[in-house]
Amino acid sequence: MLQHEVVVVGAGLAGQRAALAAVEAGRDVAIVSKLHPLRSHSGAAQGGINAAVGAEDSVDTHIYDTVKGSDYLGDQDAIEFFCREAGPTVIEMEHFGTIFSRGADGSLARRAFGGAGFPRTIYAADRTGLALLQGLWERLGTERFALYEETELVRLVVRDGRVQGLIALDRRRGEFEEIAAKAVVLATGPAGRIYGRTTNAHSCTGDGLAAAYDVGAFLKDMEFVQFHPTALLESSILITEGARGEGGYLKNAAGERFMSKYAPHVVELASRDVVSRAIVTEVKEGRGLAGPYGGYVHLELMHLGKEKVESRLQEICDYSRHFAGIDPVTQPIPVYPAQHYMMGGIGTNIRGETNLAGLYAAGEAACVSIHGANRLGGNSLLETLVFGKQAGIAAAAYAAAAPRPEMHATDLETAVAPLRAWSGRTEGEDPSALRTEMQETMDRYVGIYRNEADLLEGLQRIRRLRERFERVRVVDRSTVYNLNLTDAIETGNMLELAEVIVVGAYARLESRGAHSRTDYPKRDDARWMRHTMAARGPEGPTLSYSPVAYTRWEPKERVY
Amino acid sequence: MTEGTISATFDVYRHDPAKGDRPRYQRYTLKLSPHTPVLTALLQIRAEVDPSLALRYSCRSAICGSCAMQINSKSRLACETHIGPEIEQHGRIVVEPMRNQPVLRDLVVDQASFWKNYHRIEPFLKLDPAHPMPEGRPTSMTPEEVERFKETPRCIACASCYSACPAVEADPGFPGPMALAKLYRYVVDPRDRAHQDRLVRVQADGLWMCLRCHLCTDSCPKDVRPSERIRDLKEMAIAVQGATEHGSRHAVGFKDNLRDRGVLNESRLVRQTYGTLGMAGQLVQGLHVLRKKPEVMRKPHPIEGVDQIEKIYEALDRPSEDGA
Repeated sequence: MLQHEVVVVGAGLAGQRAALAAVEAGRDVAIVSKLHPLRSHSGAAQGGINAAVGAEDSVDTHIYDTVKGSDYLGDQDAIEFFCREAGPTVIEMEHFGTIFSRGADGSLARRAFGGAGFPRTIYAADRTGLALLQGLWERLGTERFALYEETELVRLVVRDGRVQGLIALDRRRGEFEEIAAKAVVLATGPAGRIYGRTTNAHSCTGDGLAAAYDVGAFLKDMEFVQFHPTALLESSILITEGARGEGGYLKNAAGERFMSKYAPHVVELASRDVVSRAIVTEVKEGRGLAGPYGGYVHLELMHLGKEKVESRLQEICDYSRHFAGIDPVTQPIPVYPAQHYMMGGIGTNIRGETNLAGLYAAGEAACVSIHGANRLGGNSLLETLVFGKQAGIAAAAYAAAAPRPEMHATDLETAVAPLRAWSGRTEGEDPSALRTEMQETMDRYVGIYRNEADLLEGLQRIRRLRERFERVRVVDRSTVYNLNLTDAIETGNMLELAEVIVVGAYARLESRGAHSRTDYPKRDDARWMRHTMAARGPEGPTLSYSPVAYTRWEPKERVY
Repeated sequence: MTEGTISATFDVYRHDPAKGDRPRYQRYTLKLSPHTPVLTALLQIRAEVDPSLALRYSCRSAICGSCAMQINSKSRLACETHIGPEIEQHGRIVVEPMRNQPVLRDLVVDQASFWKNYHRIEPFLKLDPAHPMPEGRPTSMTPEEVERFKETPRCIACASCYSACPAVEADPGFPGPMALAKLYRYVVDPRDRAHQDRLVRVQADGLWMCLRCHLCTDSCPKDVRPSERIRDLKEMAIAVQGATEHGSRHAVGFKDNLRDRGVLNESRLVRQTYGTLGMAGQLVQGLHVLRKKPEVMRKPHPIEGVDQIEKIYEALDRPSEDGA
């Protein structure tokens, strides 16, 4: 059996930052990640990272924009802490070696982003996530820690309300690892692959969320799912908000900049929930364009000029050329909203603590909550670093005083027995087919606009899929890189999380941020300005609600 | 975006060394639209035909670097290689694992040597206590200084270059194109304080093993151009340390030779590269050349218009505008 003081699961920005903080605190740290750290989905983040460092900008404005963007569901104390950490966090990453884009005076270049009062999004061309991931990984590489690469979390071990360690599958050797740990930080990212139309990588399957939920952690605000307004048609590959930040237009079939109807003040730079709903409305009402992959609108960059487009939006040029066969310098980009981000996650406070002793979460896997009902662009990269560090510090402090973890021989057997049963079957359900049906269900019934009938239908379908999953079968018998087995593990996890999303959405009888109920079109602060807390019960998720933390900002109607 | 489908035949390398089986090619035929990425096709094979096919993949948008493989004998990212042009050119799509790395299973290779070489060049900022980072503010860096990184920050560590590189294949001591491009990124970083030390160390540690074939640059999906950055490193290394290695002495000797006479003086070049005593080690090869092509061993006459060469050299020696 392996043993470490702090085990971080996931090696994107949040996980790496947590690991660095725990190493710096003097703990024996291990990272468990199903991908090589440099292949983490953080690297796909394009547009930038917010910090109010400009002379005309202020931390208070960043706080206000984030509170307003969250549709007043974000915890204001957490948002204040978060925005105050922004400047030091970006400076630290610069000192670690990150190569940012620069202004003529040598300062960090900034661009405008949706829902922000000032241009405060610091960037590295349109590959900011990659630049940060490289900078952090190369800094972390100077420290001592253990790396379990291509090793997938299977189950957490919790005894007497305390984390004792975890069971993980080494993909390359096909062996199950028992890793005892005093503290575990979950930084496994989102579960975007619950949806078919998603900008997320194939690896975003919510492994940490499902594992935490399984052992009794709360999942918070899971019904709040962000749809990014501009994903490439068909492939749903992300086209950064930075494209609009640099001055790009959204146009319908008639060539109208339709956003002026929905957000007269800031037009294309409204908050993401607003822009996504506007695009869907344009298409539904017949003003969109149509093609074999459904309705869409145009994102135009042609008027920005070749030089600007090719230098500041270099990757976007490549994506458009390779994946849609169009050149954004001379042609409009066909876009439609796609699932992009989960505001919800494992419920934590600002130290990354969950309701279980020794269990921490950070990054997109966690819900602090700073994004509330809708996240602003540029705040997620910042979140990974700010709260990754906090979770690492807290986990290290806990581990320094925690008793020796206790793993029993039966822990491995409990985790692995169901997986063996899947492989032993001569007939049963195919995990890929179940996954595809789940994705179609979520796309159709739990999308941007929701209503009671759709959500009920979606819930019934997800529950039937969960029943069918009980008979899942793994046909691949190899031990090495058995993706059939990991597909099954991930599909089971995602079906469980899909149920939590639908149940939360069905219960919330209002429209707030990314959760838009056509049957309850208004925000209802009196009844619903509270967080949804889902716990695993014998019959599926049981919901309770917790208050939103207030400091200075009274809820107002959101107008952009 | 294209409509209509074509029949696409895939011959996919299959091998599970853990089972002790022999490598084989398995044929799959699918009806697909020509703009389908190879990765999408492989995932469709996994979902509909054969869930045991093993490959690495994640982002499907050419940013995570997971799905590099040999597609019709070229190192490519499967997610951004479309089937239409491949079928048109080759009639079928042969999919094999990357080269220069042992196969774990099917299209999945063991990347340990690739990552080891990446860490070997010490990819992190080295600071000097006399020049600490500015307190509470970012380092100032001009857009021109950012330009000096060229395209190296775009590298996604996909290892396509490592797979394509014949020097990696010939000598496991060669760090490989990606590691050297990464080294260049640190050598031009104004925050790093170990530029000279890095250049001196790499001169003796693999820099001159590059064969200048440019296959790395050809295979790079992100236009990082490792071979051009290796060339830059060679120039910078000679500038800080002079020609201390056989490789750099050969390069400098080559340049001087051409400058003098406009044509190579082979025996002089051998002496310049290996030194007078070191020439003894080249004796066998020298005798072989003397027998086969005695004329190359003679001292050549200067070519006509050799003074023009001097002018070219002067122009090349002038510092370029980007300072590289």
